[in-house]
Amino acid sequence: MSATFDHLAEVLDRIANTSSRNRKLGVLADWLSALPDADLERGARFLCGEPVAGTGDRKLSIGHSILREAAVAATGFPIELFRLCHREVGDTSETIALLMEGKSAGESLSLAEAEQAYLRLFAERKTALKVELLQGMLERMRPKTTKYFLKVITGNFRIGMQQKLVEDALARATGAKLAEVRDAANRTGDLAQVARAARAGTLAALEMKLFHPLEFMLARPLDDVEDLVEPESWWVEDKYDGIRSQVHTDGGKVRIFTRGMEDTTAAFPDVVEALVGLPGSAVVDGELLAWREGRALNFTVLQQRLARKKVDASLIDKVPVVFVAYDLLYRDGALLLDAAIETRRQKLESLFEGVGLPLMVSRQWRLSSREALEDTFTGARIRGNEGLLLKKTGSLYESAKRSAEWLKVKRPYGTLDVVVTAAEQGSGRRATLLSDYTFAVKDGERFLNVGKAYSGLTDDEIRELTRLLRSISKERFGRVTLVEPKVVLEVAFDGVQKSPRHKCGYALRFPRIVRWRKDKEASEIDGLERVRELYERSLA
Amino acid sequence: MDLQYSSDGIHVRELDLWLDPQISKPTAWISHAHSDHARGYSKTLIGTPATLELYRMRWPEDSDQPQRLIALEYEQSLDWHGAKLTCYPAGHILGAAQLLVEFGGQRLVYTGDIKLKAPLCGAATEIVPCDRLILESTFGLPIYHFLSRDEARDEIVNFARECLEEGATPAFLGYPLGRGQEVAYALGQAGIPLAVHGAIAKFLPDYERAGYSVPGWEPLDSKQVQGKAVVVVPGMRRLLEATGKDIRIAYVSGWARLDNARLRAGAEKLIPYSDHCSYAELIEMVSATGARHVDVIHGYTEAFAGILRERGIHAEAPAYARSRASEEEGVAQE
Repeated sequence: MSATFDHLAEVLDRIANTSSRNRKLGVLADWLSALPDADLERGARFLCGEPVAGTGDRKLSIGHSILREAAVAATGFPIELFRLCHREVGDTSETIALLMEGKSAGESLSLAEAEQAYLRLFAERKTALKVELLQGMLERMRPKTTKYFLKVITGNFRIGMQQKLVEDALARATGAKLAEVRDAANRTGDLAQVARAARAGTLAALEMKLFHPLEFMLARPLDDVEDLVEPESWWVEDKYDGIRSQVHTDGGKVRIFTRGMEDTTAAFPDVVEALVGLPGSAVVDGELLAWREGRALNFTVLQQRLARKKVDASLIDKVPVVFVAYDLLYRDGALLLDAAIETRRQKLESLFEGVGLPLMVSRQWRLSSREALEDTFTGARIRGNEGLLLKKTGSLYESAKRSAEWLKVKRPYGTLDVVVTAAEQGSGRRATLLSDYTFAVKDGERFLNVGKAYSGLTDDEIRELTRLLRSISKERFGRVTLVEPKVVLEVAFDGVQKSPRHKCGYALRFPRIVRWRKDKEASEIDGLERVRELYERSLA
Repeated sequence: MDLQYSSDGIHVRELDLWLDPQISKPTAWISHAHSDHARGYSKTLIGTPATLELYRMRWPEDSDQPQRLIALEYEQSLDWHGAKLTCYPAGHILGAAQLLVEFGGQRLVYTGDIKLKAPLCGAATEIVPCDRLILESTFGLPIYHFLSRDEARDEIVNFARECLEEGATPAFLGYPLGRGQEVAYALGQAGIPLAVHGAIAKFLPDYERAGYSVPGWEPLDSKQVQGKAVVVVPGMRRLLEATGKDIRIAYVSGWARLDNARLRAGAEKLIPYSDHCSYAELIEMVSATGARHVDVIHGYTEAFAGILRERGIHAEAPAYARSRASEEEGVAQE
């Protein structure tokens, strides 16, 4: 018996209708474990919003207008009515599913049939024929199924189901170890394949695949130098203020991925050109920086490269970029995550031997003592970098982990006393609390928003603050509550930049809450002139 | 019949009869007791006994504004200035009624807010054949489909049980008159311990007298919600959440048909059950009454009138503004 997409749609509906991660996990694991072998792979793939396997960069090429056309044809409703409905619903797949109610044959759809349909849609290059195929599907299947059948195509379920939850469910459903499932998913970037191997007990045999981003290893902040244990057993590098990036190369093919797992290759043709020359195959962890005359430029300068769709010679000239390599995760067929940092470093240096700008290898040296840290830090700041990164000797590359083996040493650029003007509901555990705060500085009698922060307070403080903010709420727009400007916070941040996003014309970088200043009133907070001053300082 | 639409309400000129007027008039028919339909101190008020009773709770007797209340039971008729007025169930809330006006050889039906399928609490609606129909279209777009009362009851009860099993507190948001009592009735009948917010509890005796008893409910104390389901008005949500307890919110409403209601209402569980007609029920109403002329007066009026015209019915969306959004809509805009 083949499993049905109808059942999958029910499962996804149940996941959408609970905030309990445990319940989501249970529902998903039950479904996965009952899938016959033949369906497990496609089931897992659909959960990732991937309709067809192994299509590389080619997409299904089905957007809103094709979906709308198919829906109009299948329902017979005029397009204006479709538009009105879509405006109310806000999601194309959901709109179409609702409009198909009572208008389809209501036939069951197996996972295999769904895959066949996706493949046909993928193979068909003509828009009119894609529409016709889709129309046929809409008229056939149950509307409740339609909603998720289409969401697999548009690739966004928006039901609170992250990849980690799917990995958890796969482990639970197959009895495989969670760490092994995660490792395999990281290596292959292919949850369908992982699902099959997890059930067969062959996860270890899955080989690394290039050109999908591996999870990054992250550093923990070291707030107090005194907290550093065994100061003599750390490698030190400058901490750059650029775009953390992962480079994949293999015989002339190059891809650059960001931490958000986005492909930014197109924005950096100058760097790509240099990377093409690297021998063999490799995955390199590093940072993209705007660079001129031997030092890094402000992060805002680099952003101009990302903002553009097309990067031409004049932009490259205006914003020259370098790639600073600092770790090697893969080399010529061998995954190096479990190799010691010293081994990875040595292979990295040999890979980059003899290359010049725009490629560099981050300078690395051994910390001599706790006392030396202060001078080293100042040196990094003088070089235009953000601070330091300490990497433990002998450490492994822990994908997806904020590890204690990597420590970042940063100093806040400054702090400001600000007042909260709006608060937003958090998510997950904080879903019922107001945990994201928009804050403002003073400008004469007015308050001008300058940023938003959501970390730094304890749960108890957030709860107390939530109660207080609700009592001074002025107006509400969905998740956002506007409040009387009464609550004063001290926020730290890493820089000030010009920004049209806020009324005051500036934005703070990485603002975080240092403390709730119950002792201060709104009249005592910092003014716009202080923000302007800090901005000027950053230019100097 | 000469119907005039204005911001005061709908006026049947020949009979000097106002339908759900927004301000005090000489004579008014009130279709049900929601505050956007039953308001002010009209001199003569006609309505079902339940509606008049609920109306009195919100608009108590005032010696400066003497009134005559005329109670009309379902299926009962009244002669009025040469016309015959007959009242039929509308299913919307307790006491809700449609009015059939027979005059000069014409049959006019004013639905008020109406639900065609049987509600959890209340009489099943009747289709009243007529020439002209004044119909509300709160959910007059083809995206609105609702659960039946049995499906809704199961969803409500199952959600409550699941939450309680996990040590969490299920909270149901409902506006004070109608939805709140229906949810309480479903929970009470299933034997689930429940606490009801005062604004909703106030009307529970009326529902109990009408035969919808809610066993074992107690007044809400927001400090003691463990082990119970709670039924509250939407404004109470923040207070409940501020207790720091594991509160799981369910939103029972027609608007819960759309996933975006999850964010708008701050709920995790959506139960699309309404006390209005779904789109399909509206279409069914129009066709079953046989009306050739339909005035669409609330909600997606232009769009729904357009849909009816496509079907060869003379339909209009007369310019007409009710002073306030209906109670149910207020929840959606929360």
